[in-house]
Amino acid sequence: MQANARNLIMNETTTRTLTIQILRHNPQDPESEPRFESYQLDEAPGMTLFIALNQIRDEQAPSLQFDFVCRAGICGSCGMLINGRPGLACRTLTSKLGPEITLAPLPVFKLIGDLSVDTGAWARQMGERLETWVHQESEPDIDRLEERMDPDRAEEIYELDRCIECGCCIAACGTARMRKDFVGAAGINKMARFRLDPRDERSDEDFYELVGSDDGVFGCMTLLGCNDVCPKELPLQTQLAFMRRKMASVK
Amino acid sequence: MKLVYTDVLVIGGGLAGLRAAIGVKRRGLDTVVLSLVPAKRSHSAAAQGGMQASLANSAMGRGDNEDVHFEDTVKGSDWGCDQQVARMFVHTAPKAVRELAGWGVPWNRVRSGEREAVVNAEKITISESPEAHGLITARDFGGTKKWRTCYTSDGTGHAMLFALGDQSIANGIPVMERKEALALIHEGGRCYGAVVRDLVTGELTSFVARATVIATGGYGRIYKVSTNGIICEGTGMGIALETGVAELGNMEAVQFHPTAIVPAGILTTEGCRGDGGLLRDVDGHRFMPDYEPEKKELASRDVVSRRMTEHMRKGKGVKSPYGDHLWLDITVLGRAHVEKNLREVKDICHYFLGIDPAVDWIPVRPTQHYSMGGIRTRHTGESTTLKGLFACGEAACWDLHGFNRLGGNSVAETVVAGMIVSEFIADFCQSDESEISIPTSLVREFHAREQGRLDELLATKGSERTSDIRRRMEEIMIDKVGIFRTGVELDEAVEELQQLLHRSRNLGLQSSVHGANPELVAAYRLQKMLKVALCVALGARERTESRGAHSREDHPQRDDSNWLKRTLTTWKNENDTLPTIDYEPIDVAGMELPPGFRGYGQANHRNHPDTEARVSEVTAIREQLEGADRFEIQNRLMPYKHLLPERYRERNERLEEPNPSS
Amino acid sequence: MPASRLPARLDVLQSASGVFLALFMWLHMFFVSSILLGKDAFWHVARFFEGYHIFGKPYPILVSGVALFVFAMFIFHAALAMRKFPADYREYSAFRKHAGEMKHGDTTLWFVQVYTGFAMFFLGSVHLYTMMTRPETIGPYGSADRIVTDWFWPLYLLLLFAVELHGSIGLYRVAVKWGWLEGRNPAATRRNMKRAKWLITVFFLTLGLLSLAAYIKIGIDHRPNYGEHYVPPSIEEPLEPRQ
Repeated sequence: MQANARNLIMNETTTRTLTIQILRHNPQDPESEPRFESYQLDEAPGMTLFIALNQIRDEQAPSLQFDFVCRAGICGSCGMLINGRPGLACRTLTSKLGPEITLAPLPVFKLIGDLSVDTGAWARQMGERLETWVHQESEPDIDRLEERMDPDRAEEIYELDRCIECGCCIAACGTARMRKDFVGAAGINKMARFRLDPRDERSDEDFYELVGSDDGVFGCMTLLGCNDVCPKELPLQTQLAFMRRKMASVK
Repeated sequence: MKLVYTDVLVIGGGLAGLRAAIGVKRRGLDTVVLSLVPAKRSHSAAAQGGMQASLANSAMGRGDNEDVHFEDTVKGSDWGCDQQVARMFVHTAPKAVRELAGWGVPWNRVRSGEREAVVNAEKITISESPEAHGLITARDFGGTKKWRTCYTSDGTGHAMLFALGDQSIANGIPVMERKEALALIHEGGRCYGAVVRDLVTGELTSFVARATVIATGGYGRIYKVSTNGIICEGTGMGIALETGVAELGNMEAVQFHPTAIVPAGILTTEGCRGDGGLLRDVDGHRFMPDYEPEKKELASRDVVSRRMTEHMRKGKGVKSPYGDHLWLDITVLGRAHVEKNLREVKDICHYFLGIDPAVDWIPVRPTQHYSMGGIRTRHTGESTTLKGLFACGEAACWDLHGFNRLGGNSVAETVVAGMIVSEFIADFCQSDESEISIPTSLVREFHAREQGRLDELLATKGSERTSDIRRRMEEIMIDKVGIFRTGVELDEAVEELQQLLHRSRNLGLQSSVHGANPELVAAYRLQKMLKVALCVALGARERTESRGAHSREDHPQRDDSNWLKRTLTTWKNENDTLPTIDYEPIDVAGMELPPGFRGYGQANHRNHPDTEARVSEVTAIREQLEGADRFEIQNRLMPYKHLLPERYRERNERLEEPNPSS
Repeated sequence: MPASRLPARLDVLQSASGVFLALFMWLHMFFVSSILLGKDAFWHVARFFEGYHIFGKPYPILVSGVALFVFAMFIFHAALAMRKFPADYREYSAFRKHAGEMKHGDTTLWFVQVYTGFAMFFLGSVHLYTMMTRPETIGPYGSADRIVTDWFWPLYLLLLFAVELHGSIGLYRVAVKWGWLEGRNPAATRRNMKRAKWLITVFFLTLGLLSLAAYIKIGIDHRPNYGEHYVPPSIEEPLEPRQ
């Protein structure tokens, strides 16, 4: 057991030189043009893109912009295109990639600069548009025993509640790439999450108002890029189909 | 000069900040939340394990109540906490969990019937009663008598943060992202808001507010290895410190989490041990029972961290290119449990270590984790010295945690403090007391000062590199102000940190862009971080005792006779290289639970002169009121209800304690 | 005012019409490939749809009717599916770039559907229009003459690939879109369905290519007698070319 745990990350012996191509652009600067810039660095054992990017910024490109917060795959800040596919940079080990790595900002979202995009504004707008909160007439009575909930149901809700709004599903969505108003898998999954929640008093008719359109669940073309890149492995395929069935059967 | 007015300016968009903003908004006040990052990305999301609240629903939590939670918290703090605040906290925590349940947090629930669990490396069968079925359940955490930690699998912080984030959207609270407060605007002991920099455009805006709340989390990133997110740089405390007026409390009280993975420093939740995971050494030997026969792996965090370090010093650590470590073994829990209840842990192991924790042991070592210290506040959350400035959550020294906090109490503190403090802020803002009339020249003065500092940083081509100084600071902190501390090393640390502060006044930046400029950001944060680090190091050097997480090898005894007091640090003059230290005594005579042995760790302390008298007083009251209900006894020992906002005074209902008014 | 239910209805109809067309094409392929069993077999299949076996004499108008119905479904489905097509060059290039970067099977397959769908606008229309207006020519010689002498074979070759790809991809997508047959492990089901999809494509393409080859061979042999109708040896009286 012990030996097993040590081999993969900690005792790597061969050192590679990595070439990292980064799509750089600062929209704040009128003279800046989008361009790929290339950086080289020596790979270290256990190196992630978080470590690599910080090293590049520290030693080669002090103005390089990117976002990290938890650097543990929990907060969803660091979504970017890694060799063309959306993923979380912080938990991507360089050892899992070839010696040449291409990094680009997530498309669809507003570019802040280099690898940093404004997923926050997108998430806020989605929250407002889809009203992603429990709709309940009465306030919870916090002095009394809480409302009971089936233990399985609670776990099912959490399963869908795990979305970290990293934006990978949106960037991986062909529809969202073509049509900016498409709510995307993150939005539809949220609707499924609140629909499942017994505390939310909204009916299917209410949910239809939010996602029953070609910008909503009927705009989805089931390309399933979302499902296949989701860092949290949310059951997006199932939830998209589920919401489509539910919304299509609204009278 | 751009100027924005609001009633309540909240700096920080994590759990504490959001809950505070929701509280004041619901009281009809205008509020703005500023956040370095999108609010839902705050470090609160990383709290995996859970939040303590004495609901007493699950079989292993039966008999739990505020009294038990209070006792655990005070013992955990090593009697460093404010016992009245601890009482306010344990009383409000169940309400916070229930409020969040109403707002959508999918707390795990009690399932009636029998189930298997691993306790103390042995399989036991727990039988849940049908009457508790569907109520919120709890898991075991270190330092607690009962299973009290409410959770949603291992994404509790995430679920809570998203529920509050969505509530803030529902309440129409503007959350301004990528904004950093550079300085507090203040004059004559009154805080008027903050000068704020837009991290994208570089533009400064002055926010003027009746009340300003700092909820910026901890200062873990002054350490080289920390479980904290990279935004937890202590700059919120830094701007408070730089007023020269606001006091920071107990900055030397820094907690190390026993089980962060090596080398990435990412936390594996205490739930691993709570659920039955074991610590093993290089020989595969389970060593914790040798040191802590009763609590074993589940002694409080400071104790487990020290025992691990002690054991590694004996040569029982596992050698690795990144230094010694020990093993965390959760294979005993079985794959099903790991994949369902500890999935985040499994993911972390998979992505950062390339191992499967259902079959492999996890390399771990103690790593900086939590800042007990922070902006010293009254029970209302208001700064003791700067009127109109409030703080809550990890950024505050409210003082719930004293010298060590219990796992699950920090997440609970964020929302509980948010609830309580927001009521006091609202009261304040709705009273005449909060009226402000400040000349725009004052705002302009602060605005111009900050702009000037930035311009100067960009213009002067000094010889020092930010990253060099920063890296050295981080090393000093982990090497010399770490788990075990000595006077000699602390002297060196204080000395060298002062040199670094000097050097930091001569930075040279490569880029001179005013807008988005990561190099500039690192540069202007550096001095704030160094000042915070100096508060920690100096506080630690002066405190010649061991208490909670502060462990002096040259002074291993807890010394109540000299040190039952809170360290207060201020930064009087901008050009100082050391903070000014002061102390605030902790009143033994008013304690509900007088100082004693914690029940784990070493029984080694010197009593305070008042302790004996208070112990006999307490014993007398208990004897006199024998047979009375626990609320009456508690009230006689240490009244606290009057300190709570009125809406949170009612008793908490439990299965075994039905609400009298229902 | 509640939101329009039209998007929901159209979405269902797009899937339903697609499923109808895909299943129709499976049957169609089986009928067409009867040529592999001999000229008589195909002759009977063709006459069967003209009601010969019921009424004792063929009514090609019946085939015109079926062709008209299929044509209508075809246009209907195309109109609905077009809503999802890239609306302009910006959308088109955004998707192309996306598919290129992602290197993701299902995303690329959608492009295949767009291209094949677009191709079928023309190829399918020509074929359906012919079937609608000249149903009586369907037969071992008539069809073979059309394919060889009338130069339909390039069109049919392209159409064959377009139909077989489009139909099986479409069926797969409809199944995942509505979550049919998901089972306990949707990811595994999807993998299996994708495998099945490829097998079906290969099967029908093989069948189609073999049939086309058979027609081409007949057509080449029959070139000198272009226009002549096939009459099975078992039938004594020649049938009327038109009713």
